[in-house]
Amino acid sequence: MAGTAETVARVRRERLVAAMAEEGLDTLILHGNAWQNDYLRYAVDFGILEGEGIAVVERDGSATLFLDDPLEAERAAVECPAVETATPDDIVAEVARLCTARGNRRLALAPQRNIPFGLIERLGQTPADDATALLDRLLMVKAREELDAIRRAAHLADAGYEVFRRAARAGRADYELVAETEAFFRANGVDDNFMLIGVGGPEVMGMTPPTGRRLAPGDLVITELTPCVDGYYVQICRTLCVGRPNEAQERTLAMYREAMEAGIAAVRPGATAADVARAENDVFRRMGFGDYVTSNYTRVRGHGLGLFPDTKPHILESVDTPLEQGMSLIVHPNTYNPEVGYFVLGDSLIVGADGAEVLTRTPRELFIGGDAA
Amino acid sequence: MRHGLIRWDEKRLSAADVTARQDRLRDAMARHGIDGLVIYTNHVRSGALTWAAGFTPYWSDALWYLPRAGRPVLSTALSKRVGKWIAATNPTSEITHSPSPGGAIGQFAADQGAARLGVVELDRMPRALVDQIAAAHSGDLVDASELFAGVRAASDLPEMRLVDAADALARDAFAAVPETAASVGEIAGPLELEARLGGAEEIYVATAPELAADTRFARRKGDVALGRRHAARATVARHGVWIRRIETLDPTAGSEIADARDWLKTLCAKLKAEPGIAEVIGTTPLPARAALAHWRLEAPAGTRPLQTVAALGTDLAAPVAYGVLTVRLDMPGGPVVLARPIHGAGSR
Repeated sequence: MAGTAETVARVRRERLVAAMAEEGLDTLILHGNAWQNDYLRYAVDFGILEGEGIAVVERDGSATLFLDDPLEAERAAVECPAVETATPDDIVAEVARLCTARGNRRLALAPQRNIPFGLIERLGQTPADDATALLDRLLMVKAREELDAIRRAAHLADAGYEVFRRAARAGRADYELVAETEAFFRANGVDDNFMLIGVGGPEVMGMTPPTGRRLAPGDLVITELTPCVDGYYVQICRTLCVGRPNEAQERTLAMYREAMEAGIAAVRPGATAADVARAENDVFRRMGFGDYVTSNYTRVRGHGLGLFPDTKPHILESVDTPLEQGMSLIVHPNTYNPEVGYFVLGDSLIVGADGAEVLTRTPRELFIGGDAA
Repeated sequence: MRHGLIRWDEKRLSAADVTARQDRLRDAMARHGIDGLVIYTNHVRSGALTWAAGFTPYWSDALWYLPRAGRPVLSTALSKRVGKWIAATNPTSEITHSPSPGGAIGQFAADQGAARLGVVELDRMPRALVDQIAAAHSGDLVDASELFAGVRAASDLPEMRLVDAADALARDAFAAVPETAASVGEIAGPLELEARLGGAEEIYVATAPELAADTRFARRKGDVALGRRHAARATVARHGVWIRRIETLDPTAGSEIADARDWLKTLCAKLKAEPGIAEVIGTTPLPARAALAHWRLEAPAGTRPLQTVAALGTDLAAPVAYGVLTVRLDMPGGPVVLARPIHGAGSR
């Protein structure tokens, strides 16, 4: 599998070099940390954990990865041996020195939002373009090899949810469910996992890290699991009930399932993110829950997936980004419901030529926690 | 992201504990002519804010503002729907939600008449946030990293207790690793499980599956086979306090690894995280037939929870609140790598 991951990284690098050539760029400066690492990872395939990293990518595709932390540099030497790493005392000053010393070369930076103040200040009069949109496009519309990597990761999202579901029993604390899920992921080659949880009823307005709440009969347990394999995230959102669900909970599942399936049915090349969001939201509006698709109760109706667990395009009625073949998304009509509390249901998919290729296969049910499959 | 147990625990770190730290920062601000202190945080650069307010962000980023008087303010772009969670885990701060966290802080400072703002690690702050502050606040923005470091270096008892608790969590997690473990997954899975069941906010596991061939630690796939002598590093966070513990495992080692552990325990008991540590380490008698190949001391520094501050050949330049000492001994059976936390010099 390591060879496969290397192939995917090589394909990414080739696409990046081609995009740089098309834009006439000589050097790209990519910033990353464990929060927002997709831009950096696209070029150097390193899953940074501690400190920050800046990759300096040349137009021939060669790259130097500057890291804050010698332990991270040691790890990078093992995990991405093809990339040269350096740990100067001050990575911002060193990268700025390199860039300004090169003179008349065309330089660009990404992601613009996270570029350190000190780097921009030191670049001074050295012109530097914003390469965020260039990288965003590469991150959104993926190569065939990247999509294969995403397909390989999808079964671990399903398997992880099965572990989570079996762990969810009355009396257990929310963080114990996370512990069992993480242990399964770590033992099975999942590098990282974006995961939120909520336990309770109508008082639950959203998902957060675990707070120590113990599961009680009648509680809904909501989670989104987003395992990362070789850098690629795949997400699944499901809701389970501690004990047998009541009628309101079952009715809520039916509405969210209809909304999710309407959203998935709207996915096709040429449709927009807004079209998908509207298809989901129309179901809520038709059933009298239109207030609950607004930003007071929900953030997005899905989002892109890839080297970041929550990437563009955001599935919102205000986002006109056209969907293209080769994008990977999750469609999730997650939102607050006044009868039962925050409720989640979502499946990951790839945008294919004829519509959605749904990746996650866990049944779209309101599960009973701890129940055997 | 952080998705272990994150909750305010007044018994382990009280509001009084963190407001005492905030008061020490205010004293330093007064000495340096700073009207307001700005700390940037995200879950990677959480170290400064978890110390100053006890708050650990699980995702996204935020700015925390400490005025010369009055409650501090946390400004975040996270939704108001998680505002209750943020407030519950950050009880000494006012919470404000804004798509422009820097703008909100800049406006707050301007409204208070704060002319000179100090920013911890100004160089590293995302440029966009600096621009937001500057657009709303016309006063000076200066770097306050040294100011912060001077205050942060002093240990306090609650932090040392949390260091010991985090280390105990890691020790217990290692106790759950089966002696028969034959693959990386058989180490990583139990470490994750036990640490998180014990309440860890985070655990990172790295392994060196065959020390005789390679002493470098990395995240490796679960099916990678373990050699005779291997090691695992557990980086554990609890209540915002980070430690590392490394254990070397070798079923054929006899007493060799136990001797090394005893030696390190004795060494750590007499070490304080202050300048001169290199001499103490270098002059402490080693276990029989052992050579000290390398050592490294890490400590909280600025917004980083742990950062290398001394190593073989480079003494510690200034005291730190606490440290994590990693040693590599060359012994007859092969390398032995171990890591343990040590306390700061002036635990209050």
